[in-house]
Amino acid sequence: MSDTTISLDPGADVIKNRGEVLSSFVRVAKYTAVRLVVLFVTVVIGIYLLVLVANMGGYVDEIRRGAIREQISMQIYMSKDPQIVALSAEQKNQMVADQVAIEEHRRGLDRPFIIRSFAFLQNAITLNLGFAEDLVSDTGSKQVRLILLERLVPTLLMWGAGNLLLFFVGLFVGLFLSRRYGTLLDRIVIALAPTSSAPAWFYGLFLILIFAGVLRILPFGALVDAPPPESKILYALSVLKHLVLPTTAIFISTIALSIFNRRTFFLIYSQEDYVEMAKAKGVPDRLIERRYILKPTLPPILTDFLLTVIYLWTGAVILETVFNWPGLGRALFQAVGSFDTAVIVGAQVIFAYLLAATVFVLDFLYALVDPRVRIGEEGKRA
Amino acid sequence: MWKRTLILFSVLIVGALLLSACGTGAVETVVVEKEGETIVETVEVVVEVEPTPEPVTRTGAWVDTVIFVEEPSSDAAVTRILAGDIDLYAYSISEAPIAERIYAAEELSYYTSYGSFNDITFNPVLILEDGSLNPFGDPQIREAMNMLVDRDYICQEITGGMAVPRYVDVQLASSDRAGLADVIAEMELKYAYNPEKAEEVISGRMVELGAELVDGVWTYEGEAVEIVALIRIEDERLEIGDYVSNQLEDIGFTVTRDYKTSAEASTCWISSDPAGGCFNFYTGGWVSTIISRDEASNFASYYTPLGWGIPLWQAYDPSDEFFAVAEALANSDFETYEERMDLLREVIPLSMEDSVRIWLKDDAGIATQRADLTLASDLSGSTYGATLWPYTLKYDGVVGGQVTIGMPSMMTQAWNPVGGSNWVYDMMPIRGTETHAIIADPFTGLSRPQQLESAVITAQTGLPIGKTLDWVELEFVDEIAVPDDAWSDWDAENQVWITAAERFPEGATAKTKVTMTYRADFPANTTWHDGSPFTVADMMFMMIVNFDQAKEASPVFDEGTVPNFDSFMLAFKGFRWVSTDPVVIEYYTDAYALDAEENITQFRAWYPSEAGTGAGYAQGTAAWHNMVPSWLAEANGEMAWTDDKATALEVDQTNFLAGPTVDIQLVKLDEAIEGAYIPYEPTLGDYITADEAVARYENLKTWVERTGHFWIGTGPFYIQKAFPVEGTIIMQRNNNFPYLADAWAGFDKAPIPEVLIDGAGEVAVGAEATFDVFVDFEGAPYVNADLDMVTYLVFDATGALVMKGDADAVEDGYFTITLDTSDLTAGSNKLAVIAVSKNALVPVTETFEFVTTE
Repeated sequence: MSDTTISLDPGADVIKNRGEVLSSFVRVAKYTAVRLVVLFVTVVIGIYLLVLVANMGGYVDEIRRGAIREQISMQIYMSKDPQIVALSAEQKNQMVADQVAIEEHRRGLDRPFIIRSFAFLQNAITLNLGFAEDLVSDTGSKQVRLILLERLVPTLLMWGAGNLLLFFVGLFVGLFLSRRYGTLLDRIVIALAPTSSAPAWFYGLFLILIFAGVLRILPFGALVDAPPPESKILYALSVLKHLVLPTTAIFISTIALSIFNRRTFFLIYSQEDYVEMAKAKGVPDRLIERRYILKPTLPPILTDFLLTVIYLWTGAVILETVFNWPGLGRALFQAVGSFDTAVIVGAQVIFAYLLAATVFVLDFLYALVDPRVRIGEEGKRA
Repeated sequence: MWKRTLILFSVLIVGALLLSACGTGAVETVVVEKEGETIVETVEVVVEVEPTPEPVTRTGAWVDTVIFVEEPSSDAAVTRILAGDIDLYAYSISEAPIAERIYAAEELSYYTSYGSFNDITFNPVLILEDGSLNPFGDPQIREAMNMLVDRDYICQEITGGMAVPRYVDVQLASSDRAGLADVIAEMELKYAYNPEKAEEVISGRMVELGAELVDGVWTYEGEAVEIVALIRIEDERLEIGDYVSNQLEDIGFTVTRDYKTSAEASTCWISSDPAGGCFNFYTGGWVSTIISRDEASNFASYYTPLGWGIPLWQAYDPSDEFFAVAEALANSDFETYEERMDLLREVIPLSMEDSVRIWLKDDAGIATQRADLTLASDLSGSTYGATLWPYTLKYDGVVGGQVTIGMPSMMTQAWNPVGGSNWVYDMMPIRGTETHAIIADPFTGLSRPQQLESAVITAQTGLPIGKTLDWVELEFVDEIAVPDDAWSDWDAENQVWITAAERFPEGATAKTKVTMTYRADFPANTTWHDGSPFTVADMMFMMIVNFDQAKEASPVFDEGTVPNFDSFMLAFKGFRWVSTDPVVIEYYTDAYALDAEENITQFRAWYPSEAGTGAGYAQGTAAWHNMVPSWLAEANGEMAWTDDKATALEVDQTNFLAGPTVDIQLVKLDEAIEGAYIPYEPTLGDYITADEAVARYENLKTWVERTGHFWIGTGPFYIQKAFPVEGTIIMQRNNNFPYLADAWAGFDKAPIPEVLIDGAGEVAVGAEATFDVFVDFEGAPYVNADLDMVTYLVFDATGALVMKGDADAVEDGYFTITLDTSDLTAGSNKLAVIAVSKNALVPVTETFEFVTTE
């Protein structure tokens, strides 16, 4: 956001003539181009660093070689197949050596890492996510694209539903409370804020125990009933039923703190002079909230919202595990555990692009929602 | 009169038949003399009869539906079973707190399995590259380590009782364990936890090696002797590694703990030169999914350079004596069973003296289910590893119903029979869809016939092969000539078999010939799930693919199969179809197993289902016609059966269940229908007609449209639907399965004997002491003919083994042991009785303490 400037000229948002339009267009176009280039370079550097880090500077190749040798050795030296048992030690060794050489060649491990790292970079930048090393998509494919896409929908469903609910409830209840500072309700919310110190999975365990284990009215976990209903409507209803507990866990775990934060944030704005003035003038509460408090705070709220949305991409490992939810978090956790750099890099590349795009879009959104913000007028202040 | 008598007689017969059919009592027809006239009368007689069991008419599976769902947490799984959400959890639980919940819950039952075990693997290089001293390079220090670790502590405290101590390199669930019980007991006694003695030996050797104990810390050439402990973190090996490290620190060593995952650790202990010193000891873990029928080769494999061809193994330097015995066992360099057992008795103490690894424990994991649910559970591979699970899964007293099985994960890799998923949890549903030529007995590991009727093993005279089961015949001959017309190799270019005469122009002999005869009603009795008939072409196709993949001229050549194939060809001589009705196949090879039954394999029988050996269909079952679409796509480079080839080509691995390759297969299926495609036509053209090919493809297409997948089998269940993202598989009973549901009755519980010893608690030295030994199973006496051995060991007050022998059989399940106590001294003695069944290879040991007085 450092590239945006705030104009103090109250008429800056009014275009007076064609020359100004052209000038604005050139300014915006130039700003856009520079911004895109800077973001792209940032993404490229970030991705290459990611490739190096994810591969531990080439050490993952060693790990992979070791794993290949161990796996093949186990298969051959521990085989009880009479055909293999009958081989001499030299024949077994030769067999292992041949097999290892073939596997290393097939996986490109016979080429130096530094050369392959640029190929990884190129593939990442062009979003050619390629094939995973070990991880397999739920449908049995090793295409990184499918591994991520198959898990994205469940993640969006659970994490998205929970977080969007949190975001909007937090926003509006926070706004509501900021106008009722010191009331009983306000004090209750403040008192409940420490409950957010426990993570969602912690509440999830209790919810499962109560509603699935004891009351048996909601499922223990998973995306859908087993067997999944044939009808699409029943399938959707089944997914909704399975969403109740994880979404509730997410909601309970953070709602008090979220409301507390918003309420504090809005409280600062609600004590501004212009708000007091509006109150003195008898402007209705609802209008004050919407026009005098919510509107000037939109840029940080938008930032918060969009970042929340793109962070959905990372999933939630433990919560997904507790609810046996087939989400991205578990997939990425598995990828990290098995040094599956293709999946790690693939997921992070998409995240990097999403983050860059979000930053880029936010620049424009700020200008749209806040008339004091003008694009591309760096250093030009009234 | 005669007419009335006849009518009466007829009515009586019909009535009697009806009543006896009801099975509730009996009406007896008797002939009585009445006033000089012989008549037939009915007399009510109360006859106690055993209720006649309902004859089983149901075929295939006992239950109607099986649903597999994912449940990664074993704790949650137990809760779900108790809540009625799932019925069985297919996972071997080794966490003590969860096991306690299972033991305590009346609603649950469980099966125990012994498939995994742990060791401490030492670096055997004495002086490392940097000049530092590695104490474990010294055999005496390694040997003493056996006494520095308390295996009981590991089993009871670290694993919470979910393991049993292990001292020697012989698996608990193996055919050799029982026969070596005495020597194993001696080792357990000699190397029992004794930290003082261990420290004494280790200190003495350290000084001799030039080390010095300075302020309680061992130093060598002025530097502290550092032990790098390479500790795996995924399971209880974390605690074991810490425990061993603590024990070493207590006697003055400086230990650096290097915590690593499997993949990270492999760069050190597998890939690096041990002289580099990246580790001094490693917390090893091993898994066996089948009951071992031969432990003899273990000693060469685990202790000598004859084992793995990696730097660590090549650094092993066993004594000449140990190496010679280990090598002889590995090469089966013996002629009789007794000779083999003598070698094993010799090698075990030598392996303890060498101790490049010390064994710690055999895990005793449990798999749990509802108490009213039974199924076969493999003593090594648990419920999910038992091939017989689909035939034995049953609710008590109920026919039909639905069973929901939870498992930690499933469909983690693509499913295809050639190189698809071999994940243990995937194999459970896969096995539900298969039939087999032979099935491994879950309690003994021996092959039992399913589609086969009989087999004859012809072996060269002098080979140490023995047989156990009646369905196999074993014979010895001086020479086995390979017939000229046997098929011996595959010509991928012309797609025809190469005969033995062509491959071996000078003629060839083999060490063994296996003649396998299928059931008379096979293959006519067997139908694929899509309705297509099973024919010999299905067997032929499997075998051709096995050879074809390894041939460079083949369109489906897979470089990764070549090393395995080359090694196979070293011993393989040929096979011959003696007859196709009934199907009789001969197999000629130089490779052999010691058990005659183990010389019969799925692959050798040409049976197109899970061979599990890397040959044939290693990971599942298939007909030729559902292989063709993937064959065509593989030939076209659009996908590949094996993961490695798919990786190299940057295409997807063939998946019969779901994903993008199903669409590719559908396209290829249409092409096959259009061209009435006959695979490997120069050979299979003799077995498949164009009409049959099209009919089969059409069946398959209908099947795929109905189920959404290409997976068909001939087993007791078919896959109705697979939901990979949701992690669910639904299987339904196959109504066309040919064999009765009770064909494998009795395999739902391992007949492990229970032993009880009774006798006098006090005996005067010199007096004769007699003890009664009762061997039961589920409250009934064990049939002696089914017992492999009931042997005893006597330990005196010092713990020394003073007597051993076999118990005397009196009647079924009852034995006596008579001891001459004149060699015993006054004090407390222990009598250990070891019983082993022929039908369940887990030795049972029971002890009885008695006091000898002067």
